[in-house]
Amino acid sequence: MTDLRTIIKDIAKLKPIPQVVNKILAIQQDPDSSMEDLARVISHDAITTANLLRAANSAYYARPKAFESVQQAIVYLGMDEVVDIVLMSSSAKNLKHPQKGYGLKAGDLWRNSLASALISRELSQKLNMANSHLIFTSALLKDIGKAVLGQYVWASTKDICALVEGGDRSFQEAEKNILGIDHAELGAMAAEAWQFSPEMVDIIRHHHQPANAALARQETVVVHLSDTICMMMGIGGGSDGLAYRFDQTMIEKLGLSDEDLQVVMVDFAEKIDEIEQLIALN
Amino acid sequence: MNIVVGVADMKVSNDPEKVLVTYSLGSCIGIAIYDSVARVGGLLHFMLPDSELDQSKARRRPFMFADTGIPRLFKTAYELGAKKNRMRVIVAGGAQVLDQHGFFNIGQRNQAALRNILQRNNVMIDYAHVGGSANRTLRLAVRDGRAGLKVSGQGEQIL
Repeated sequence: MTDLRTIIKDIAKLKPIPQVVNKILAIQQDPDSSMEDLARVISHDAITTANLLRAANSAYYARPKAFESVQQAIVYLGMDEVVDIVLMSSSAKNLKHPQKGYGLKAGDLWRNSLASALISRELSQKLNMANSHLIFTSALLKDIGKAVLGQYVWASTKDICALVEGGDRSFQEAEKNILGIDHAELGAMAAEAWQFSPEMVDIIRHHHQPANAALARQETVVVHLSDTICMMMGIGGGSDGLAYRFDQTMIEKLGLSDEDLQVVMVDFAEKIDEIEQLIALN
Repeated sequence: MNIVVGVADMKVSNDPEKVLVTYSLGSCIGIAIYDSVARVGGLLHFMLPDSELDQSKARRRPFMFADTGIPRLFKTAYELGAKKNRMRVIVAGGAQVLDQHGFFNIGQRNQAALRNILQRNNVMIDYAHVGGSANRTLRLAVRDGRAGLKVSGQGEQIL
């Protein structure tokens, strides 16, 4: 068995999240901050500005006229949307690579992460939840642990798959059993290392078991549901397939109906071409 | 040449150079049909059981639903000369997340809808690989009707 410390050390091999992201998250959490504050931070970073304008001008946002400045994008799309776009482009580089251990080709993990984030935002708006940006970012980064654990899962694929095929363990439980740690825990540790908020760490750690979330339980349930929907729709699906547990009790507490759930799937499927363009940009 | 059938999509062809393929079926279902005399093949990837959900969306995207997608799959193949009594029918998908019950279990509801529609129309399923918690990829070669099924974590099997 691989030494657990070796796996955890690999978190440092992830590309660091740029400083501008922490600054932006701080602005968003500060009730006294303004559009100008956000525009200033983004404009000071040339790469972030370019990425923001490229994504904001993609077909997904369907604007009649192209945005030419950060300010313009913030005025038209709103602060929350702009922050989400910036987070998207800064997360992509850790999620784009193939992950053999999970049977994911280049781009699959990114496709799954982005889809889950977009569906989470949709759900949080449907449920009138206040902190949709926290939900969006957490959904985007929930599987960052797979980018670390992938090579170890690959080395132990046979053992992990045998446990899952045995029928009584989820893929995550099999990871923990064979490797001593699972991708959700490892992802939470990466989020801690990047000094993300304790709520975000909580959501990432418990996105497969939302009942265990202590700080942001309802937000975790939303991310859990969006993850489930992505698995069901097969978006960026890998060799772990749908072999994760579903907390039906927690989901039912959200109060979504059968129809609500199916409408989310239909709306997402209708936008899939635009979403593919957004995926390809980053 | 691979022709990709996306989510809520369908392709029918009599071009022997084409291989129809649909990737990553989760709770969605892929249904491949082939008439070896007319050499016509079709592949549908539907997502939900019933178009009652939203009739206007079903008109725009009929391949989203079992009840609007399956009849179109067969009719389009008939237009190219295929006959119902010669059709080989292969289905894959309809998986579920562990511990999923009731209305959340769309994989199982998709399976039920599919079987209902085919039974009502006297169409037999020749091969089915459905349920469980695996992702599946289904492909169909129009040249000879050879179908391939890949289950996540395993190699491809020829059906």
